[in-house]
Amino acid sequence: MFSIETKSLTKSFGDVIAVNDISFSVNSGEIFGFLGPNGAGKSTTMMILTTLLKPTSGKALISEFDVTSNAKKVREHIGYVQQETTVDEYLTGRENLLLQAKLNHIPKNEIDKRIDEVLDLIELSDKQNDSVVTYSGGMRKRLDIAGGLLHRPKVLFLDEPTVGLDIQTRRKIWEYIKKIHKEFDMTIFLSTHYMEEADNLCDRIGIIDGGKIQVIDSPENMKNAMGNEVISIIMDDNTSHNSFLSKLKEIRFVKNITEDGSKLTLFVSNGTQVIPKIFQISSELEIKINTISLTRPTLDDVFLSYTGHEIRDDDSHFNRRREHAKMKRMRS
Amino acid sequence: MNSIIYDTYTIFWRELKRYKKSRSGVLIRLIQPAIWIIVVGNIFSGTQSLIQSVGFDGEYIEFMAPGVIILTAIFTSIFGGVNTLWDRRYGFMNKALTSPISRSSIALGKMSAISLIAALQASLIIGIALAIGVNFPNPFMIAPIMAIVILFSLGFSGISVIVAATAKSQETFWGMINFLGMPLFMLSPALFPLELLPNWLAVIAKLNPVTYTILLVRELMTGVSEGGIPILLSLGVLFAFVIIMIGLASYVFTREVNKPF
Repeated sequence: MFSIETKSLTKSFGDVIAVNDISFSVNSGEIFGFLGPNGAGKSTTMMILTTLLKPTSGKALISEFDVTSNAKKVREHIGYVQQETTVDEYLTGRENLLLQAKLNHIPKNEIDKRIDEVLDLIELSDKQNDSVVTYSGGMRKRLDIAGGLLHRPKVLFLDEPTVGLDIQTRRKIWEYIKKIHKEFDMTIFLSTHYMEEADNLCDRIGIIDGGKIQVIDSPENMKNAMGNEVISIIMDDNTSHNSFLSKLKEIRFVKNITEDGSKLTLFVSNGTQVIPKIFQISSELEIKINTISLTRPTLDDVFLSYTGHEIRDDDSHFNRRREHAKMKRMRS
Repeated sequence: MNSIIYDTYTIFWRELKRYKKSRSGVLIRLIQPAIWIIVVGNIFSGTQSLIQSVGFDGEYIEFMAPGVIILTAIFTSIFGGVNTLWDRRYGFMNKALTSPISRSSIALGKMSAISLIAALQASLIIGIALAIGVNFPNPFMIAPIMAIVILFSLGFSGISVIVAATAKSQETFWGMINFLGMPLFMLSPALFPLELLPNWLAVIAKLNPVTYTILLVRELMTGVSEGGIPILLSLGVLFAFVIIMIGLASYVFTREVNKPF
């Protein structure tokens, strides 16, 4: 059985298509990640799956319940932890969880036990009676995540769970997410624009860009499909490099090349033998190479090879339009 | 039905918890009605003969005290919905909307919390009125007066929740609220008896639910009825107003929160 299933899911705001004909399914018990830059359509998809937005067309099912026609049933089966921390600052940690328990109709005689249990899990038992105002950013996030777990949903949605947190806190949150997944055996759907996060947590990743899913696979498979090694070349800005590029493509071990301004990324299988050949060609064509490096492929490279741009590359024309539409939507 | 009551109570509980933690606001919000009763009550004390001409034999300040009690209720409840905007901005609303509770119970929980808070503020104003020497012939009347204030504020907070759910920004909210609050107060017998209003104003005032509430409170407080409006009619108008506002607020709120913010 699938925990999440979407069929040709589409959402448009006016003439901007935020989510474009997305179909995927997530197995029960899986950690599935949506990886993409801001404005790729991650949050919009998540808002449809959590019944906050209605799709323009297509279908989405959570535990076999349709998000539009059976929204109430869907809400009983999901936990949703938003990108912003949403805990009530004026309330104590425990009161926040109590509120969450009541919102989710946890039986009265269970509430205290469940709260103690999650407080223990996220290691906030000793601070539970302090006002949340006194909590650090990481503690608030932990409390938020705990709130999403209390009613033991079948599917837990985490929208950018570590955005804005420092690296130590981020790793700590990852540990909690893994612990939760092990303890409650729930399906987790998370969105992120951190490669490391997707790589670290997810069983499978869907790379989403411009409202479309580019590829879905496990992080390992994605990296393996890239070839074993990556060579990055940065050339002098004003050299024309078309002939250079076509010559490079003829080298035996080169699987794929992407071009981003004066930066070339070569996905290769035998890097140490390719590099001398690159220099040979560049000196023949009098191309000036500024730097060259040989690395193991990362998800960054995977992302680059599927989308043709890096994940930080947020300022493309398409995204500006999307952001503009979003701002307009918020204002109206 | 059971779950709607439970859910309404959940939201009510949360709103009151938040109110309790922001106690400094309680005193600040008392300043304005206190100024009304102390300053305006004394400025107009010379109008006693006017008031007496329509059959009220106390002092002006005693005549207008019920008006100020309702003024407190009006402004506490009409401002009360503003945190709906914060809730939508900072995610609490989405949290509630993705949980199994019904949309109406969010609106109703907010309204009932606001009305209780308004009643608390109004009771403090009654205290101030007593302290500055307003005569209260029958102290047992406090209970029904509070009941009326709670009912009235429940209805009035509906206006606030509707405006907050419809407005997408603070600016729109405050613009609308200021546009609504003061005129509703002024177009009522809060400061002067209906009989002294020019005819056209009296007609408008009689369309205003605030009018009937003030007449009720004044009658309970001073024992004088005015304007020839029977108590049952006033009660009927008040109840109808509350029921309509509850229905309208849950409908509009549900419709608005289903749209993207």
